[in-house]
Amino acid sequence: MQTEPMATISERELATLRKRLEALETMSELSSLLSSAIELDELMPLVIDRAKQDMDAEACSILFYNRETNKLEFEVAICAEDDTCNVLKKTISLDMGQGIAGWVAEQQKTLVITDARSDPRFFQGADAATGFVTRNMIAVPLIGRSGLIGVAEIINFNRQDYDIELIEQLCRQFSISIENAIYHRDAIKRERLKQELEIAATVQQSFLPATPSCSRNAVSVSAFSRPAAQVGGDLYDFIEPVDGMLGLLIGDVSGKGISAALFMAKVISDFRFLARGERSPGTVLSRLNASLTNAPRGMFVTVMYAVVNTGTGGVTLACAGHPPAIHVAESPARALAVPSGPPLGIMDFTYPDTPLSLHPGERLLFVTDGVFEAKNPQGERWGYETMLAVIEQNSRQPDLMKIIVDAVDLFAASSPQADDITLVEMHLHAPHSGE
Amino acid sequence: MKIEIVDYKGMKVISPAGEIDMHSSPILRKEIMAFVGQRITPLVVDLKEVTYIDSSGIATFVEGLKGAMSYGGKLKLLGLAPQIREIFSFSKLDKVFEIHSSADDIIQG
Repeated sequence: MQTEPMATISERELATLRKRLEALETMSELSSLLSSAIELDELMPLVIDRAKQDMDAEACSILFYNRETNKLEFEVAICAEDDTCNVLKKTISLDMGQGIAGWVAEQQKTLVITDARSDPRFFQGADAATGFVTRNMIAVPLIGRSGLIGVAEIINFNRQDYDIELIEQLCRQFSISIENAIYHRDAIKRERLKQELEIAATVQQSFLPATPSCSRNAVSVSAFSRPAAQVGGDLYDFIEPVDGMLGLLIGDVSGKGISAALFMAKVISDFRFLARGERSPGTVLSRLNASLTNAPRGMFVTVMYAVVNTGTGGVTLACAGHPPAIHVAESPARALAVPSGPPLGIMDFTYPDTPLSLHPGERLLFVTDGVFEAKNPQGERWGYETMLAVIEQNSRQPDLMKIIVDAVDLFAASSPQADDITLVEMHLHAPHSGE
Repeated sequence: MKIEIVDYKGMKVISPAGEIDMHSSPILRKEIMAFVGQRITPLVVDLKEVTYIDSSGIATFVEGLKGAMSYGGKLKLLGLAPQIREIFSFSKLDKVFEIHSSADDIIQG
């Protein structure tokens, strides 16, 4: 009978095999740990606590690399004393190249320091601030797919039979998990912001007139408004301040987003209150200006307010830093040179009234700057003069606003709409013209 | 946008460069409001390296101006490129801010 040859394993080989097995076990345990936590705040303490135990260390920390400041900041630290961790997190940041972590981040190499105090790279400041005494340290760079994430540190470890390659390998895996967790966190933030903006946009729309057109006697007014992807600040309103008069307001609030939406809501509600019973648009703008002067963060609004006598076609205009209105008549379309004050909400000002006669068949067109500042993929802007030329060519077209918007879209091509686009038209119909 | 604080003949000048929009204006705001906090007057902003400014950028200047006015200070702008000057005159903001052609103009002024 043949006997199997006996394999002999030396004690040394056995020890190596045991270490490998242990390494594989650690790898597998950490893998499941890394995949179990998706929240950054859960993931980091879990991993470094485990590292601290495995290495029989006194402290473990992770510094994150802040791209904006080019510094390393303590993201998480586990030490025996909570105070030490707090001091580190609140007060210590390292420049690239400063201290052990700075060196590791800059060189993107692992560093094992057996006697920290004698190493010239060691930053004494952290120990001085915390009262902690650093004896030895392993610092490993955390590098993800998009570059340096930070540095992991194991401090005052007592275990001597560690496998540095294994630690590095675990850190590579850890880096990917951190990156995924950051991505997850940012995605949630983006989604939350998107939802808030959607709500702001809905609230904002609810402040505009329920229907985009309105007719009284021979006068009709209509509006077209298309918000940009981000909540912008265009506004318009139709109002009957006194019998036989129709008021038309167009405006553009500074900034974008939720703050602009809230400010716009204030502008419209104050306007509706102040415009009631008042024939002079200049007086309304002066009062509205006073009510907006304490607007926070330098917020302001450009507006144009026109009040038309629906019987005679007599119009009175007042302007606060808003782009000129366009008179669309038989003669060439022209920008109306209306004396204008500064935008509302900046400084005291008395806004003057400018009278104007609208003849039957003529129109006044009001726009916000989003119309003529539309950009094409080459970064060029459409321009007020180009807009005037398009209006001139189509001055008899009943759907003039749609023609302008189509021209803007054709020009902008694939460029995303950066600003709200709003147009409002005031039309004095010719008697029995059927217009 | 990049931002520098330049010392010109003893006068501190805030010099932003690039586009001032809703993303970059908070950085400019921080610098301007730091000057306001120190009650510096005049607050001088050199716009010669600025290629575009949107309404959130202008709001930052308005906030700086209001802040400066609270202690009797002034905000002065200089070096406006034609396209920036157009934005200011179009919205009648040239009535709001003091606009100068050069830093020497401010010193002599």
